[in-house]
Amino acid sequence: MPPYIRRSLICLSVDDPKLAEKAFESWADAIILDIVKSPIQDWQQVLKAKMPTAIAAAAHGGAEVFVRLNAGTAQAELEATVFTGLTGVVLVGVGDRTELVQANERLEVLERERGLAIGSVEIDLEITTAQGVWNSLEIARASPRVGTMTINERALYQHLEIPFETTLEVEPIEFIKGQIITVATSVESQAQGMSYPLCVSQNEVDEATLTKAVRRARDTGFKGVVCAHASWVKACNEGFRPSPAEVEYYREVREVFAEGLKRGLASVPLNGKMIDVPVDLRAEVYLEWADRVALRDQQKIQAHQL
Amino acid sequence: MSQSKNSRRSWLIVPADHDDVVAYAGSHDADIVVLDLEYTVAPKNKDRARVGVTGQIAKLTATGAEVFVRVDRVTRWADVRAAISRDLTGIVLPSPDDAADIVELDALITTLEKERGVELGTTEIVLMFESAKSFWNADALGRASARVSGLGVGRIDLSMTLGTVPQNEFRLYRFLMTRTLVAARMLGKQALGAFWRPGSRGGVASVADTMRAAREARLLGFSGCVCAAPEQVAPVHAGFVQS
Repeated sequence: MPPYIRRSLICLSVDDPKLAEKAFESWADAIILDIVKSPIQDWQQVLKAKMPTAIAAAAHGGAEVFVRLNAGTAQAELEATVFTGLTGVVLVGVGDRTELVQANERLEVLERERGLAIGSVEIDLEITTAQGVWNSLEIARASPRVGTMTINERALYQHLEIPFETTLEVEPIEFIKGQIITVATSVESQAQGMSYPLCVSQNEVDEATLTKAVRRARDTGFKGVVCAHASWVKACNEGFRPSPAEVEYYREVREVFAEGLKRGLASVPLNGKMIDVPVDLRAEVYLEWADRVALRDQQKIQAHQL
Repeated sequence: MSQSKNSRRSWLIVPADHDDVVAYAGSHDADIVVLDLEYTVAPKNKDRARVGVTGQIAKLTATGAEVFVRVDRVTRWADVRAAISRDLTGIVLPSPDDAADIVELDALITTLEKERGVELGTTEIVLMFESAKSFWNADALGRASARVSGLGVGRIDLSMTLGTVPQNEFRLYRFLMTRTLVAARMLGKQALGAFWRPGSRGGVASVADTMRAAREARLLGFSGCVCAAPEQVAPVHAGFVQS
């Protein structure tokens, strides 16, 4: 079960004059705000003035709102960006646990100062370097705030000097993805990502290709993705969830298995497959996941009707 | 002056006891010639190979080659003593397990550099990972000495120590390559390795298979690999060319 229903995330600039409109129309589960540091003014003061409005604008369509910060300069950026309404911060390029510990401490101070519940601001990790991969477990364990882990594939490819060619039948960073998914899951976080080769090419593709890519990403263990294009959002919202066919199947699984238990059986057949406790547990998880997705969709619909 | 690590695509292994083979080693256009004191030298010839190795290094560098010596892990002290000289670019150390091995080797090389008038700290060390331990200790191994300039994936000892039996594809190999690549990039070292397939590796790998192994390694982020035969130098260069 994913800790968060966060299937589609899109990045928008805090300076985008159409921020509210784009966020509203996107139907994304989450908006990640990219900050711009003014070179001619006190950028912290400028951002402090902008952020509350930007957070509200991004949340207008029911999306959770995050702000994307550079791990190396996070202390100053946290000061300028953490306000009511923010679900969390995305730390880009974390290389070791110290950066996370420091961000955690700073957030606690800011939460006290700004009347936010202590520990309520999530920290999400965007991995862009070999250091981030190598140290991923200790980084993820460094703060209970860690919510999601995302590999920024293009940045990581550049850092690892892997060419942006997608001609290999194997995915160059397949094992890194496996590492991040298991690390994230081990700390009760979740991993976000797209399947190969779309994760590298980041093209706008036809609906069928996108649907297939999202399904592969979901079945690899990802729970959502930072969309390269707004056009990805619909397929991600529909794909990072149990499909209608799965919901139907798992409902039947639960019914058939419950009847079997009443008859004193530990396993029962269904369409030629054996249904036992692990399958029933999987069915339970998938149905609960589907219910939570439906609830999340309902929240967004209501937000759009306000 | 050593080459840029990016231009070290082909690392041609040459048995140090075969004078005739060594004599022509510089003519194959390999980016690096690796005089071997490990498996390609018969045990009974090791002493003779050690005695002659500095002379071989000098002859090869005179032809413009950049020369490393691959030592045997078990006899590395004697091998390093035999090899350190002004003309040597570095040592290839197979199967390092612990950082202490590298620290000790670094100290020995420093002593020998002082004794032999070699500029201090200039002798490089390239580590070839060939054990499960080495992959898990890759970070510590790579940091153990400033001399470490490259991290590579070994093969024969690796499949032996892991107990794998490669069938068509050595499936663990990509995981190990990824781990080596990540460690190398994290530490700023060259990543060495090729995506060899069972049955077509080492000295018997065909030109086509060698080129494919090198090309796939490049697409996995690697920039050079060991060649077990001179015929593999050209396909390795072709495979590591950016398309």
